Amino acid sequence: MKIMTLGWRLALTCCIVMVMCFPAWGRTIKIGVIGPMQFVQGKGHWAGATMAADEINARGGVQVGGEKMKIELIKADSNEFINVADATNAMERLMTQDKVDFVVGGFRTEAVFPMQDIAMDYKKIFIDCGAATTALCTRVAENYNRYKYFFRQTPFNDIYLVRTSFAHLAMAAAVMKKELNVPIKCAIVAEKAAWTDGMIKAAQATIPKLGMELVGTWQPSDKATDVTAELSAIQKSGANVVFTIFSASVGITFARQAGELKIPAAQVGINVEAQKDGFWEATKGMGNYVFTTNTYCRGVEYNELTTPFMDKFIKRFNETPTYTAGGTHDAILYALVPSIEAVGSLDADKIVAHLENREYKVPSGIVKYEKTKDGKPTHDLTWGPGYLTSLGVQWQDGKLVGVWPNKWKLAPDGPEATYKGIVPMKLPPWLKK
Amino acid sequence: MNILITGLITGSMLALLAIGFSLIFGVARIVNIAHTAFYMVAAYCIYYLSVRVGLNPLLSMLTAVAAVTVLGLLVYKFLIDPIREHEGAVLIATIALAMVFQEVTLRLFTGDYRTVDFLITGFFTVGGVKVFYQQLLTFGVVLVTLGAVWFLLMKTRLGLAIRSMAEDREVANLMGMNESRLAMITLGISVALAGLTGAVLAPLTVLNPYMWMEPLIIMMAVVVLGGLGSIKGSFVAAFILGFTEALVVFLVPKGAFLKGSVALTIMILVLLIRPEGLFGVSFEEER
Amino acid sequence: MGLALFYVKKFFKIVRNEVLVLPSRVVVGLFFIVLLGLPLITQDPYIVRIVILTSIFAILAASWDLLSGFTGQMNFGHALFFGVGAYSSALINLHAHIPPWGSVPLGAVVAVLAGLIVGIPCLRLKHTYLALTTLAFPIILTGIIFALPQYTGGEFGLSGVTRFTNSLIGNYYLHVVTMLVTAVVMWKITDSNTGIIFHAIREDELAVKASGINTTRYKLLAFSLSGFFAGIAGGLYAHYMRIAGPSTLEVSMSFMVVIWAIFGGAATIYGPIGAVFILYPLLEFFRIWPEYRTMIFAAVVLVILLYMPEGLIHWIRDKIETECPRCKIRNAATRKTCRVCTAGLD
Repeated sequence: MKIMTLGWRLALTCCIVMVMCFPAWGRTIKIGVIGPMQFVQGKGHWAGATMAADEINARGGVQVGGEKMKIELIKADSNEFINVADATNAMERLMTQDKVDFVVGGFRTEAVFPMQDIAMDYKKIFIDCGAATTALCTRVAENYNRYKYFFRQTPFNDIYLVRTSFAHLAMAAAVMKKELNVPIKCAIVAEKAAWTDGMIKAAQATIPKLGMELVGTWQPSDKATDVTAELSAIQKSGANVVFTIFSASVGITFARQAGELKIPAAQVGINVEAQKDGFWEATKGMGNYVFTTNTYCRGVEYNELTTPFMDKFIKRFNETPTYTAGGTHDAILYALVPSIEAVGSLDADKIVAHLENREYKVPSGIVKYEKTKDGKPTHDLTWGPGYLTSLGVQWQDGKLVGVWPNKWKLAPDGPEATYKGIVPMKLPPWLKK
Repeated sequence: MNILITGLITGSMLALLAIGFSLIFGVARIVNIAHTAFYMVAAYCIYYLSVRVGLNPLLSMLTAVAAVTVLGLLVYKFLIDPIREHEGAVLIATIALAMVFQEVTLRLFTGDYRTVDFLITGFFTVGGVKVFYQQLLTFGVVLVTLGAVWFLLMKTRLGLAIRSMAEDREVANLMGMNESRLAMITLGISVALAGLTGAVLAPLTVLNPYMWMEPLIIMMAVVVLGGLGSIKGSFVAAFILGFTEALVVFLVPKGAFLKGSVALTIMILVLLIRPEGLFGVSFEEER
Repeated sequence: MGLALFYVKKFFKIVRNEVLVLPSRVVVGLFFIVLLGLPLITQDPYIVRIVILTSIFAILAASWDLLSGFTGQMNFGHALFFGVGAYSSALINLHAHIPPWGSVPLGAVVAVLAGLIVGIPCLRLKHTYLALTTLAFPIILTGIIFALPQYTGGEFGLSGVTRFTNSLIGNYYLHVVTMLVTAVVMWKITDSNTGIIFHAIREDELAVKASGINTTRYKLLAFSLSGFFAGIAGGLYAHYMRIAGPSTLEVSMSFMVVIWAIFGGAATIYGPIGAVFILYPLLEFFRIWPEYRTMIFAAVVLVILLYMPEGLIHWIRDKIETECPRCKIRNAATRKTCRVCTAGLD
């Protein structure tokens, strides 16, 4: 009986596979979307990709030379949070079974490294839409001929990420000085992970320079479910600003318990969980006044592309796009397709040569790929006013609002950045005795 | 003072988990890897009932504990009992079971992080430390449960049977005790304890389908440190490791992520001196 | 010429009299032939990749069996050896610039040291105590790796490890042949005098001690041998993936090894290898239902265990072969009488 059902299943699978192979008359452009599809990041990848593909297919496809080609997306679950070998198998499958022309996606650095290698083995363009590690792009500069097919679309690298956060910290400190007129004491709380180590060192060096007193550094585990011990210690240290670096569930725990215990300190920094719409519900409203970097925020406009993209996305998926969603969308719609149309072929080398020198507008700013000091392309993203800056957002009474950049300058004589829809930052009321 | 309070709270949670695990091992020699998976299922049950359905939190907790117990008994009856004689098979069956629970939860609730409301909100301050009422409640529940388990084991006929079974299975069997039924009852109690842990802990943690992995390791460390099958041992060991974790967090703030590793190292060191754990009965070689 | 003919004749005689008489030996022979001949049929890089990874994990599962299946020293932290092998060969490769054929064996030697470091304190522990204690070691090592990111790369791992060769077929034969050779070596070890002592330790350590055998020495030997082979698997994995990361040390890795080995049938060497060759491609096959992949996998393991608690390969072997009640020689299940002593089989 069991063997029967197994046999039937096999037969059924064969049928499905055959049926799926047939409708591929005419040439399509195959784009592999790889990501942890069971998780928010991967869902974002897929949502952004489908939106971009539908838009292009609705207008007839991509003009490649004299031919109109439709885009065909292939979903690959990398399962990279659980199993790195799985991620590489998924990538290999995309390359050799599905024979994709391009790949977008990726999130966990430990998995993106081997996935990058596989894509480079097959000389396929791989656009990273999730991992922030600088070293991924350093490889491009070091061994251009091998790694030139790798591009970063989002986020900008970790060095810029932490500099953005310092700008946020400086702004929060300025607000506190003005409203409370107290000396600023800052505590660093970062989840224990390799990506935070560099940031902690930078923070420990920078915070005193910003005119604040550093009172201590705490590193709970990234999955810690109880940080009351750390919180009591922070309160004891007299800190009134907490610089947070969280990407995992500890971000919820920390925000919720700090809010519940009314710890008299403002939270500023990176808290990936706080970027999600579900954060308010997840912290039961205790995450009020939490401040984090983010890429998109309802009501904030980088340029004329932002609002149409946001409206369409929210209408279709009923949530604010995450950066993986936006990045994947941009990678297909603004990076790949215009370059394919410009060179008029799917030849990877030609597209790379065209794409790396472009400067183009996306809903979150302007993308320009960086070069090292001696002029080698890194395919990393340029950061600063006029290019990509991201946002500082704060939860204010159940709504996520944009509060940064507000008249922000990278250099004293450089251009200034303020986007449409930015509102002033608020301090938790329990801070004012 | 900080260390004392944090240690007490962490220890009490560990104790609750470890005692259930220890019980079923003692009686049935089942290393139930899925123990913490039951705890996860209970937590998700509460989330579903109280947040999605909108049931009274207390009521949903009771329902969840009952549901998990029934689930545990069914699983035992149909999946574990038939292969009881093969130790290795039981072991990987429980691992596979935990994976199934994890995947089903993942399908039903996705991988997003979830949280549950506190039963009583607010906090109070003791010696400069802020403590949630919820934590106090957890502590209370742990003490009551421990008392109940102790009473059950020491003062009732069932408890006597369980203890004698743990002491020597063959003789107990010869004395006319129904080994299989007793194992089933014990498993029920054990799973109910896991469910109860889920119920009191759910409001304090962040729910995700992989949450069973983390406490599993430290729970096993507690059980081994205390001596397999010894309730008293589990209790003492839970507090030892709880205090160790608190000490690490407070004395080496930058090394807070190392608390698990330090606790495990202590366990290994103790085992080097006392291979059967602190209070373990060094049961005779079973042939 | 005549000599060559003699050996060819002898080879065919052995095949006819020793291999073809037993279905299990035929299966093993076919397994060798299919694996070695696969590139003639398909050179699909995806299939090649799956077979390579399967071979690596087969070495790992068999090495677990060598320690835990045979001596009964339940090791729940086998990922430790795998991870130590992966990390140390990656470190040796990256810093000393020793090519893979040197770094993998060196990494395996480091894994042997790890085996001794774990084995010595664990000598006094028994059964479940041992299982749960060994579980702790990879976690402690992960803590150390996270604490020293400048040497270990922290959670990103060590990337940029070189491959043996970049040719598809070269890689295929390298890994498959290594797997077959290590498997035969392990099987030979278990078949030797040492293997019998390992077996006896599991059955009754006291009796072995009473026979004047130093069981401590043999247990440590088992730990080192197992560490060596698992270290080779780890080194191969690091070089094939070109990265050694903390995922090699995860609890799920340790659990997976135990699942493979027990699913196939412990204390056989071929059981775990067969199980990996069934389960790993199966998990890949379930990609057609990506959402239910792990769930189906776990369910399959559960159901098969329910019917074959001794392990799948054991069960199959018992179905296709019967043991002669008189001389204990195995026979094909189709035979009516024993092929050696002609006693009736029923």
